[in-house]
Amino acid sequence: MSHLKYMLLVSRQAKVRLMQWYTPLTPKEKTKIINDLMPMILGRKSKMCNILEYGNHRVVYRRYASLYFICGVTPEEDNELLTLEIIHRYVESMDTYFGNVCELDIIFNFSKAYDILNELIMCDGSIAESSKKEILNNIKAMDDIEGNNHLDRVLS
Amino acid sequence: MVASSLRSFIKDVRNAKTLADERSVISKQSAKIRTKLRDDRLSNEKKRANIQKLLYLYILGEKTHFGQVGSINLIASDEFVDKRLGYLATILLLDESQDLLTLLTNMLNNDLQHPNKYIVALALNTLGCLSSTELARDLYPDVENILKNSSDPFLLKKALQCNAKLIQKDRSLLEIFPVSLIGSKLIDSANISTHGVLLGVCKVLQAILITFDKSFNKTGEDTATEQEDDDEYQEDVGILKTIAEYIQPLSYRLSTLNSKSLEPSYDVQGIQDPFLQCELLVTLKWFFKIGNNLGLEEITRHNTAFNDRLTQIATNTSALKNPGNAILYEVTRTIFELNLTQPLRVLGVNILANFLAPTKNANNTSNNVKYVGLNTLVSVVPEEPKAVQRYRKFISQCLYDYDISIKFRALELTFEIMDEENFVELTTELMNFLEKISKSHYHYATSYIDIDDSKDLILYTVDHLLEKFEVFTNSDDKTKLDALMNTLKMAGSFVDLDRTNEFIVAINNIDDLKYKIALLSKELAELLDEKKNADAESSACLELTIVWCIGEYVDLIIANPNTNKNIVNEKSIIQFLSKLNNTYRLSKESKMVHYILTAALKLSTKINDKALVEELRQIIVSHSKDTNLMTQTKSIHYELLFNQPDNIKKQFLQAMPKFEKKTTSRGLETHPIAKEPKKQNDLLLDLLNDTEFGKIATKEPTIAQPEKPNDVLADLLGSSTSKPKEKLQIPSESVLIHKGTEIEVYEKTIDISSGLAHLELYVKALNNKLTDIQPLCAVPKTQKITLSQLQPSNSMNAGETVKQSLRINGSGKLKLRIKMSFCVGDASAVVSEQFDYKLDQTI
Repeated sequence: MSHLKYMLLVSRQAKVRLMQWYTPLTPKEKTKIINDLMPMILGRKSKMCNILEYGNHRVVYRRYASLYFICGVTPEEDNELLTLEIIHRYVESMDTYFGNVCELDIIFNFSKAYDILNELIMCDGSIAESSKKEILNNIKAMDDIEGNNHLDRVLS
Repeated sequence: MVASSLRSFIKDVRNAKTLADERSVISKQSAKIRTKLRDDRLSNEKKRANIQKLLYLYILGEKTHFGQVGSINLIASDEFVDKRLGYLATILLLDESQDLLTLLTNMLNNDLQHPNKYIVALALNTLGCLSSTELARDLYPDVENILKNSSDPFLLKKALQCNAKLIQKDRSLLEIFPVSLIGSKLIDSANISTHGVLLGVCKVLQAILITFDKSFNKTGEDTATEQEDDDEYQEDVGILKTIAEYIQPLSYRLSTLNSKSLEPSYDVQGIQDPFLQCELLVTLKWFFKIGNNLGLEEITRHNTAFNDRLTQIATNTSALKNPGNAILYEVTRTIFELNLTQPLRVLGVNILANFLAPTKNANNTSNNVKYVGLNTLVSVVPEEPKAVQRYRKFISQCLYDYDISIKFRALELTFEIMDEENFVELTTELMNFLEKISKSHYHYATSYIDIDDSKDLILYTVDHLLEKFEVFTNSDDKTKLDALMNTLKMAGSFVDLDRTNEFIVAINNIDDLKYKIALLSKELAELLDEKKNADAESSACLELTIVWCIGEYVDLIIANPNTNKNIVNEKSIIQFLSKLNNTYRLSKESKMVHYILTAALKLSTKINDKALVEELRQIIVSHSKDTNLMTQTKSIHYELLFNQPDNIKKQFLQAMPKFEKKTTSRGLETHPIAKEPKKQNDLLLDLLNDTEFGKIATKEPTIAQPEKPNDVLADLLGSSTSKPKEKLQIPSESVLIHKGTEIEVYEKTIDISSGLAHLELYVKALNNKLTDIQPLCAVPKTQKITLSQLQPSNSMNAGETVKQSLRINGSGKLKLRIKMSFCVGDASAVVSEQFDYKLDQTI
């Protein structure tokens, strides 16, 4: 059962590139989590495991090139190993969408990155779709509608 | 144009050379957006541009609340582009607690009925993220409508997820939710039941089952609304019976998923949709958890089939890659959470143990499975100790893992599985571990472990070793003694001097005197050998122990034929003592000085050489003007005693008796089997019995502290010897905090200041004579408690009172859990009474 608390994308310089919170927290709490986690995660060696305890929950993270994907999970409910796969699904989906995704793609097209994430994970952090193909088809369909809207306007 | 302006903003921020530059770019832009968004005449295109920039500010962690209304306004537009961005911004900038959500009701209501499925999907997604109880109630009919009428898997999966959230928000929705819909339409129909829809079905079922679980657990508690509860209960069971029909089809889907690889789109490294497999497993787990609790036949009849299914999955799933491991991990969690049959539990342990198996190429994937494996095994030991013990080799190997968190978990597990049988083996293993880690501590610059981490590891090991030594009283004395000495040598510098007492107690309690002396003489030889000892630094902890041992055993050591007399002799030992005395004379460690004094005094009865005896006297006299009052008193008392004739002296300076330290019952309780599940939130929950996590002070009047000779002497030589027993009265200002069958307890607050509280408890025996009274007292983790001795004694006749004073250090609310155990009358059975007491004050 996946019940993510948050999904953060943070660069190696500890700059946030994307954040989505699935539990209501105050801005202060959010900042504290990010500020606490980043030194902890950046300080970890590559051979160490991708799971760490933080406060009342666990954190599962994975590094892709210069970006860290960080998820807060509920210890007794979430499957830590599966959370890693969810992160990977997300990365794969973005990779296909952008064609070899890099940090800059996400910085400049963050709203697309959000759209993809929202197709994958819904509500209070549960996985809603497991097929990469399905996710991308729907994103593409929505992009097309946006494009058509634009075209209509130009023609009229 | 839109993109470029967002782009240029992002570029500006990124190009800022200094932090101040960046701030100025951001605050300028922020102010600009703020004014722009207030402008109603702004075109939608411009609005979008501003909202996009606002979202970038959100990612940067800036304040964005001023854009909330703007985002909602964007949703009202008819254009898809506007709606898409508007919904995204709403999800990000608002959260469930805000009143603004009511503004959304109408828009969501319209969009949920929109002909364009993507707009409906956006609305569903938003409702799923931001559903206040009001929104849930108002919009539920729209969601149900989609579930009933749509046949598009895309919409259905979103509606299901959303529905699950709404049910959790408002339980009463369950009464109107047509659960039968799930079976006929969503599970059975091949066109509709895609993986996405099944994920949604799982989510809805989980939401229903978890809601039931909560309310069933609650029903027992209050009986006031019994009738209502009963009706509700019947209704719930009705729903349960309906959804129980889905167990079989879901279980079947799970097995097909697990055994066949069907679609490449769902494949993850050779495993077919691990996400759905895990969700199915969790859903089934909840079914059986509740069904077995209630004994509901509709569910329990599937038990055997489910057990077979689990075995089948466990055998079929490949453990080569992470997705497979994720499923196996879920299987084991299901097994242990439902506490299934013994063969399955053993299977579960085997799976987890395989997670620990060393692999050729250590990478972080193998470490992740190790982590979850160890973590789960720790909680499994109480149920299957033997099965876990079988894998102690794997566990020990994890001690040497590269990763500190794995080391810690492995250490925890090692102590968890320790028992009388494997005690020797595991202790040896732990000694190796200690040696390695304490060495790496000294060279931490070149090692990969953080200095604090390795200190934590060492302290954890030492603490738990000492605890285990106390518990396993029957095990091999030689191993114990070796381990004690080795621990002291390797880890002594990390151990607090106050904790050394526990080492000394442990050494004292070892029965095998012959081996003890042999070992000590060897240690002394090493310590006194100046040639060898030139560069080795010894810890205060080790020195203190040695000083105590010298006082206690020196005659035996010297008499031992195997002792190297060239190095270990009366003279060298006394030199050692006076050297130490000089070293510590001016330090603040008065404890060390006290021990040296006692050792010197004891030694004086054991040797005959006049000159050496005089040297001992010098050591004692050297503190007669000490600035520390305790030390000074001690020195003067000792000097008086020193000058007594030998036969009187000897009576006071006999060898220490065996310490009856702490009750044996406590020892048993620390055994893993009795351990409560960890990670309790309530501070008071891990209390009296859980020594590992709670802070406990036990006090038994029979405990003989190592410094007892001092007290005896002080009494003997000092002015007041034995006071006449005064009858203790309960002070009038005290309050009654507990009234039990045998005792009444009153509390009197002496003093409460920040960080420290001083309380007194008065225990009154009501009807019977009580003997062997033992108070146990626990406070929250943020505090420390010290109990003094019971006054006037640990037994009393009916109507009499004893006093117990408590000192609490730390911070937080003053809460106490108190357990008084005692024997009633002449009976030997121990009775106990337990109660909680909360003060209004905070320290």
